[in-house]
Amino acid sequence: MPRDGFMSRPLTRRHALASAGLAAATLLPGRAGAQPRFAGREIVATAFGGPSQDLIQRMVYDAVTRETGARGTQTPLLSANAFARMRAEAQAPQIDLFMFSGGQQVPAKAAGLTQKLPEAPNFANVPATLKDADGHWVAWGLVTEGILYRPDKVATPPRSYKDFFKPEFAGHIAFPHITNGYGTDFLVMLARAHGGSESNIGPGFEALKRIAGRANIFRSAAEVQTLFASGDIWIMPYDGASAMRSTAMGIPVAYSVPEEGAPFVLLTGCAARRSRNADIASAVLNRHLDPEVQTAIAREIGWAPVNTATQLPPDVAPFMAPTDRLATLDRDVINASRPAWTERFNREIAR
Amino acid sequence: MPASARRGLIAAGLLAPAALVFALLFLWPQFGLFLQSLEGPPTYSRFLGDGYYLGVLGNSLLLGVCVTLVTLVLGFPLAFLLARAETRWAGLLLLLTTFPLWVSAVVRSFAWMVLFFRSGVASRLLQGSGLVPPDFQLIGTFAGVVIALAQVLLPIMIVTLYAVIRGIDRDLEHAAMNLGASPAVALWLVTLRLARGGVLAGSLLVFSLSVSAFATPSMIGGARAHFMAVTIYEQTLELLDWPFAAAIAAILLVISLSVALTYGRLLGERAR
Repeated sequence: MPRDGFMSRPLTRRHALASAGLAAATLLPGRAGAQPRFAGREIVATAFGGPSQDLIQRMVYDAVTRETGARGTQTPLLSANAFARMRAEAQAPQIDLFMFSGGQQVPAKAAGLTQKLPEAPNFANVPATLKDADGHWVAWGLVTEGILYRPDKVATPPRSYKDFFKPEFAGHIAFPHITNGYGTDFLVMLARAHGGSESNIGPGFEALKRIAGRANIFRSAAEVQTLFASGDIWIMPYDGASAMRSTAMGIPVAYSVPEEGAPFVLLTGCAARRSRNADIASAVLNRHLDPEVQTAIAREIGWAPVNTATQLPPDVAPFMAPTDRLATLDRDVINASRPAWTERFNREIAR
Repeated sequence: MPASARRGLIAAGLLAPAALVFALLFLWPQFGLFLQSLEGPPTYSRFLGDGYYLGVLGNSLLLGVCVTLVTLVLGFPLAFLLARAETRWAGLLLLLTTFPLWVSAVVRSFAWMVLFFRSGVASRLLQGSGLVPPDFQLIGTFAGVVIALAQVLLPIMIVTLYAVIRGIDRDLEHAAMNLGASPAVALWLVTLRLARGGVLAGSLLVFSLSVSAFATPSMIGGARAHFMAVTIYEQTLELLDWPFAAAIAAILLVISLSVALTYGRLLGERAR
């Protein structure tokens, strides 16, 4: 009696095509003799420049070339400029894959400048809030904010934005100016911790006023290390990667995810609507999301993983917020309120 | 062609390249900036009708005056000594005084920040003197900005004064003393008067550089430093309110130009 099992079924042409397609979709390295999936094709993508671009070239594009035959070229572009370029070249895109850090993927999709990315295996491990419901964009990294502190000076690690009001921290607090993005997020989180919100910022200003008098207000990221190294500053709101860098420089700085949640900056990728290389873009983003690449990006650059399957090593994990402890802020309200908040900050806080 | 007309033509020819560059790269953009400041909602009345912004303007002018005074008081004796030093080391010493200019403003400001923090040497010295509260720090204070800015602008004052003092004929001092003036009186009546061109030039340079300084006030003064250049930066790059930024720049230019002209006239009248 013939066994009607999977193995005994005759292999039809249709089946062969389906399984070959499946193999290609999962980005398996081409078997000996097999033609690479994207042989002879090329993808152009934007990048954030600097060390991250080098790392991504090595770990993402070179790997994609080896596996699929597609060559990748990165061109450094700030998100706002990249978005302008995307709009200008909407009809005939020179760039296939756009990387954004300022949330531009949302207006880009709304303006019809993006297309649905072919599904790729690692996309499934990205939380639903960090990818587009229609599959037009997917996040591949995070800058996670929170509370930075000197573990050698602070006995009890801070857990909440309300801890900035503990008397032992008076005179040892620093926070960024409101024109620094993290400064704006701190104001919003203080407002939230005191019953306010993005659209009711008053409680945030009231709270900030209570600590501003004896706090050090700084403007640039370059000052974070100087402030902690001075020994006077024990606690400040900033991003976890800065704590990791300080620690690497020999200044002990720890990172704490506040119980109110960690504000964050999302790094996303999306394909231009008229690009013919969305399939390669999807493969590139899939490779970004590989746990091995996610870990390397976290360790070398400080961008937290969004693939929940990533297991960060113990020397990196304490400086990143996990994806289930993020606080999503209303960036539209924040951006619209920026001029008014800056005026108020200059008059009431930075006195 | 008469000699005088030819001289005039030569002078015009010599001035033409500089005038052209000045008109093209300074006057024309300034005019464009002024036009931009008139766009959108009223900008000048917003600035001039707001106590906060007037305070920013006052801060910048006060900073210019303080830095000018400090560099003049510290720089004049040094320039005088260097100009009169009869040693072959004088050139090297002058070179040494310009060292602060060789270091980038950002690097120099970071060094000051380390000294100005609460536990930094400069702040500690003040705390030890008992003149300030025990948790006082120079960082983020007006005094801190004056100190850091005076350090970098001092060489400009010294080099300007040096050149002028060096050109003063010492025989004029000797003649004054020969006629019964004490050395101090001779210094006051002869040398200082003859050096006033240098004082004017040095002061104007230091003043204009101080009121428009950005890096040092922003880094040493931190967020509490409300100065004109920092405000222009904020309006231009952070808030993208270019018409308002252009208006602030125009106001700064007009005010500092009038201060400079008044000062020059005062010093010039004194001389007569």
